[in-house]
Amino acid sequence: MKVKWPILIVGLGGTAALIALLATGFSANINTAVTDVITGKQAPAFELVDLQGRTWSVEELEGKPVFINFWSTWCGPCKMEHPMLLQAAKAYPDVQFLGIIYNDAAAAVDVQLRRPPYNRLMSELESAAIEYPNLSDPDGRTALRYGVVGVPESFFVDRTGLVTYKQVGPLNADTAKRELARIRKQ
Amino acid sequence: MISMLGRGLVLAALFFAATGCFAGFWAGSRRNQRAWEWARNSAYGFSASMILANLAMVYALLVRDFSVSYVAEVGSTTTPLWLTIVSLWASLNGSILFWGGILGVYTALTVYSLGDRYREYTPWALHVLMGISIFFAFLVASIANPFAPIANPPLEGPGPNPLLQNHWLMAVHPPMLYLGYVGMSVPFSLICAALLAGRLEAGWMVPVRRWMLVPWMFLSIGIVLGGWWSYAVLGWGGAWAWDPVENASFHPWLTGTAFIHSAMVLQRKGKLRDWTLVLGMSTFLLTLLGTFMTRSGVFNSVHSFTQSDIGPVFLAFIAIVFVYSIVLLALRSHVLDEEARLTDARLGHRGSSLASVLSRDTAILLQNAAFGAFTFMVLLGTVYPLLAEALQDRRISVGEPYFDRFALPLGLMLVFLMGIGPSLPWGRSAPETAMKRLVPSLAVGTLFAVVALVTGYNKPMTVLALFLVGFALWGNLFEFIEPVTQRMRARKEGPGVAAIKVWGKARRRFGGHIAHYGVLCAVFGLAMSKGYRHEQELNLNTGEVAQFLDYEITFAGARDDSETHRISSVARFEVAGLGAFEPKVNTYTSGGRMAGQPIFTPAVHSTPTYDLYFSILQISQDKTNVIVRLIYEPYQVWVWFAAPIIALGTLIALLPPRSSRASSVKPAPVGEGSRS
Repeated sequence: MKVKWPILIVGLGGTAALIALLATGFSANINTAVTDVITGKQAPAFELVDLQGRTWSVEELEGKPVFINFWSTWCGPCKMEHPMLLQAAKAYPDVQFLGIIYNDAAAAVDVQLRRPPYNRLMSELESAAIEYPNLSDPDGRTALRYGVVGVPESFFVDRTGLVTYKQVGPLNADTAKRELARIRKQ
Repeated sequence: MISMLGRGLVLAALFFAATGCFAGFWAGSRRNQRAWEWARNSAYGFSASMILANLAMVYALLVRDFSVSYVAEVGSTTTPLWLTIVSLWASLNGSILFWGGILGVYTALTVYSLGDRYREYTPWALHVLMGISIFFAFLVASIANPFAPIANPPLEGPGPNPLLQNHWLMAVHPPMLYLGYVGMSVPFSLICAALLAGRLEAGWMVPVRRWMLVPWMFLSIGIVLGGWWSYAVLGWGGAWAWDPVENASFHPWLTGTAFIHSAMVLQRKGKLRDWTLVLGMSTFLLTLLGTFMTRSGVFNSVHSFTQSDIGPVFLAFIAIVFVYSIVLLALRSHVLDEEARLTDARLGHRGSSLASVLSRDTAILLQNAAFGAFTFMVLLGTVYPLLAEALQDRRISVGEPYFDRFALPLGLMLVFLMGIGPSLPWGRSAPETAMKRLVPSLAVGTLFAVVALVTGYNKPMTVLALFLVGFALWGNLFEFIEPVTQRMRARKEGPGVAAIKVWGKARRRFGGHIAHYGVLCAVFGLAMSKGYRHEQELNLNTGEVAQFLDYEITFAGARDDSETHRISSVARFEVAGLGAFEPKVNTYTSGGRMAGQPIFTPAVHSTPTYDLYFSILQISQDKTNVIVRLIYEPYQVWVWFAAPIIALGTLIALLPPRSSRASSVKPAPVGEGSRS
C-alpha cells in the first residue's frame, strides 16, 4: 500500500507534541502556581473598620500572633472552613483572629449584606463576629496588598509581624494547628 | 421520572450511534443495500433520541424538577422563563447534552439532504458522523450525565451563572457558536467519506462546501455576537481581547474561510486538493481543540466559566480524531491522485500549474497562505503560555501586543486580496486587462482615504485601512453591477429585471460578494473605533457636571432597583442633548458560587457614527459619589452589522442554483472544472 510518509510523520509528530503540551496543562494548578511573594515578609499594613465600627490596624497588633482570613459571603469553601476557624479562635485565645471581608466594590458589599437573602447571612455574620472581629475591606485594597487572588485565603503572622505561611483555598484543621503552633512560639 | 426518561433516551442515542457507525462501515465497504438502510435509520434514531433528550431536560427545567441533577445545579424558582430555557447551556453537563442535540439536528438534516444521491460516499459519511456521535452520546451517558437522579431533591436550586443571566445575548451567542462548532463535524465526515471511498468528484465537493458554509455562517455570527456581548457586559468598551476562549472560536473560522475559497479552486481546477482536504479536516479538529480550551480548565481565561473533569477524556478523543485524520489522509490520498490522473488523461488535460500571477487563482492561493499563517500565529500565541510553563516553568500570558503585531498586517493583506480576487478572472489575464479592472478600485480606495484625511481621521493605519476597504468594496461591487449592465444592454431589460435574472443565476457568487461586504463593514468599524477611541474616568458627586469631549455630563444621582432575581445599583447621568444614561451594577441573588458577585452593566448610546459608553467603576455606599468610565468610539456598530450581512450572503450562496439539482445527480469528475 502506498503511504504518503511526509503527511504521516509530520502529522503524527505534530499531534503527539500538541497532545503532550495540552496534557501538561492538567498538572498546573492556576492557584498554587502563582508565586507566593509574601511569605517571610512583613505583613502589609492596613487600617480597617470591623462590623461593630471599631478600627483595627497592624501596628496595634504587634507582639501578638495574628491569623488573617479573607472570605466572602458568596464563597462556599469559606463557609466550609468557618466552623473550624471559630473553634480554633476559641482554643487559642492568645492568637488574634481577624476575618477580612473580600469584595471588589463597595456598592456590592453594601447591596449584598443589607438586602434579602443576604440580610439572613448578615445575622450569621454578626454571630460570627462575636467570636472574632470581621473587618470590611470595601475597595479591596487590603486584599490587593496581601496578593489575594481568590477567597478563601489565610495568612499566619508571627509576633514580629512576619508572614510565616499563606494558605490559598480552604484550610484544614491539621495545617491550621501546625501553623498556629509556629506563630505562637516566642 | 424525567431522570429515567432522559437517561433512557441518551442510552438509546448511544445505541443508535454505535449501530449507525457499524452499519455505515458495512454499507460502505460491502456496498450492501440493507446495511445502508440500517445506517440511515440508525442516524435518524440517534437524532430523534438526542433531540427528545434535550426536550426532556427543558421540560425538567421548566417544571423545576430538582430531582434531576442538572436542574438542581442550575435551576431556581426565581429565574424568569426565558432564562430557565437557556439554562440548558448554563453549565457543563447541560451544554454537552445541548451539543448532542445539535449534532442530532445536523445528522438528520445531512441524511435527509443527501438522500439517495452520492451513494458511494454517504455510507462512509454516516460511518464517521456516527463515530463522532458515539463519543458525545458516551459523554452524556457517563461522566457528564445531566440526568442523574437525586434521592433527596432540594426545594430550591442556585440558579444559572449570573453572567448568563445578565444579558439577552447569552440566549443567542452560545447556541450560535455551538451550531458553528458542532456543524463542522458534517464537512469533516463528508471529506473523510471521500478518502474512505477513494474518490473525489467535483460533484461531491458541492455538498462538502455547502455543509461547510452552514456552520461557518453560524460561527461567524457567534463570534460577532460574542464580541458584542463582551462590549455590552464586561464594561471595558472592547469586543475582542485575544483571550484563549475567543481565539478558540477564531481558529476554525480562519481555516473554514480558507477552505471555502480553496474549495472553489478545487472544484474549478482540480488543484489544491490535499491542501483543501487538510483545511476542511483541520477546521473540525480546531473546533474540538476550541471546545477543549473552553471546557478543560487548562487555559487560564477570563471566561473559563465551566471547568470540569472531562478534560482528559476529551483530550483522548482529540488525539484519536487527529490520528485518524492523519492516517486516513496519508494512506488514502494517493488513491485520489490516481483517480485525478485518470480523469485528466480521459479529458486530455495536462498537469498544468495553477495559472498566471494575475488571476483569481493566485489571489486565492495567497489568501490561503495568509489564512494559514494567521491561524498558525494565533494558535501559537494561544498555546505559548502552556509551552513556556512546560519547558521553562514560567507563567506568562501572551497579550494583545503580540497578536496585534501580525493580525494587523495579515488582516490588511487579506482585505487587499479580497479586493483583487473578484476583480481578476480565473486562469490568466493580460496585464492591461487586469489594470483596467483594478484602476477603478484603486480610485475608490483613494477616494475613501482622501475623505478620511479631510474629515480629520489622519492616523496612517486608519487611512490605509480605509483605502483598502474602498478598494475591496469597489472590486466586489463592480462584480455585482457589471453583469447586470451587460445584460441590460444585450437584452434591453430594465435594471430591476436584469438584476434579478443575473443575481438569481449565480447565487453562490453573489452571496460570496455580500459576505465580503459584511467583513468590510467589520474592518471599517474596527479601524475607526480602535483608532479613534477616547476614554476618560470621572469622579462625580451628585449634581456635579463634567465635560467629556463635547458632551456635558451631569451625575443626577444613584438608586437601588430590586427584582426577584437581582438587585441593581443604578447611576443616572444626564447628557445635554442626548438624554439620560443609566449604567448599573447588578447583583444576582441566585447563581451558585457566582451569586453575589457584582456584574457591571454599561449603558451605551449607539448611533451609526459613534457610540457613547458609560460604565460604573464604583458607587459609594451612600450613593452620592460615583466613579464612571466614559468611552467614545466612532463607528462601533458597523462591527455588529457584519453578522447579519455575512449571514445574508451565506444564505444566498446556500440557495440551490436553478440548474444544480440536475448536475448534482450526475456529478462531474473533479478535472472537468478546469476548462477556463
